[in-house]
Amino acid sequence: MGSCLKFLVVSVFLFSLVSVSVPWVSATNGDVVSLEVAEAEEALVLAYDAVLEAEEAGANVSGLLDRLSVGGEYLAEAYVYVRLGDSESAGRLAGFCVEAVDGVEGEAALLREEAARLERADLLASVFGSAVGVVIVVVSGFVLWELFKRRFNEKVLKLKPEVSDGEA
Amino acid sequence: MVKLEEIHTLFMVATLVVVLVVASPALGVIVPFGGGSERFSELWLLGPGHMAEGYPFDVGVGEEYSVFVGVGNHMGGSEYYRVCVKFGNGTEYLPDIDGGVPSVLSPLYEWQFFVGDGEAWESAVTFGFEDVVGNGDFLVVGDVTVNGVRFPVDVSAVWDSEDSGYFFVLFFELWRYDVEYDLFRFDNRFVGLWLNMTASVGL
Repeated sequence: MGSCLKFLVVSVFLFSLVSVSVPWVSATNGDVVSLEVAEAEEALVLAYDAVLEAEEAGANVSGLLDRLSVGGEYLAEAYVYVRLGDSESAGRLAGFCVEAVDGVEGEAALLREEAARLERADLLASVFGSAVGVVIVVVSGFVLWELFKRRFNEKVLKLKPEVSDGEA
Repeated sequence: MVKLEEIHTLFMVATLVVVLVVASPALGVIVPFGGGSERFSELWLLGPGHMAEGYPFDVGVGEEYSVFVGVGNHMGGSEYYRVCVKFGNGTEYLPDIDGGVPSVLSPLYEWQFFVGDGEAWESAVTFGFEDVVGNGDFLVVGDVTVNGVRFPVDVSAVWDSEDSGYFFVLFFELWRYDVEYDLFRFDNRFVGLWLNMTASVGL
């Protein structure tokens, strides 16, 4: 009987120790989740921020979005298990989420740099091309106008009536 | 006769037009031309045949029903979405679209996913009901199963004498991640299924 009581007391103590030692935080969707799930969410959001920056720079991020969605799938499942009170499964799925998005930030940064480099080159090419085009149009316009003006004046001079001295 | 000054003006205008055309690639980079298209997200629900028909209505215990839920992104960039499944007993706990307020009910199942601009996401959903108990004018649904996961809900509905049934609603809310505030916001969209549970108590 005594050993049973001891076992019960120790069990209750250990259980309360676990519930206190596992840090719980509030997630972006309002659920109170374990630190593992919160960390997975943070990893996913950071990776998403990096992907958005790459996208804004003009990079094709469809492959990275697929990887983020895999992470999102795990995170959503983790939340489901949080609600069901299964913190072990939630933690395991949160770990899968972190693994799924591992490296996405770095790849997004590379894509962003590449996209920015290409954009700079495109900008330079279009500005240079436009400037050269404008100069060609203006110069050729000026030349054409001068040629036209000369011909026009010649034609007008030919049309002028000759002045006679009135001896007829 | 046409004067030389008039031809000169015409020539200058034509040259200016050609200059603008030639400079347009550079101007396009410097001067932002705003896209006037409306930005929005879509949320849809299709029946088991992947059509907008044949939605489950008369439902019973131990049966499995299927629908398809989908989201379309027309926001002009990639978006991070969350779709929550909620279960209630009527209109009182449905989201308030006019006020932009989501349902106060706790989500059961959920999906989180990322969708590129102009692209869509879709998922099959299976659901069923367990531990349904009829108690006179009340009917209590003990558990709801969504995609194989069983959720204890204990939701009760009163007998609706006007429409002759015990009515429940299984609905899907769309949430979108707000990068500026680092949180999900209700996107003011939901789709739902009205379910008559009368058959589950053999009436």
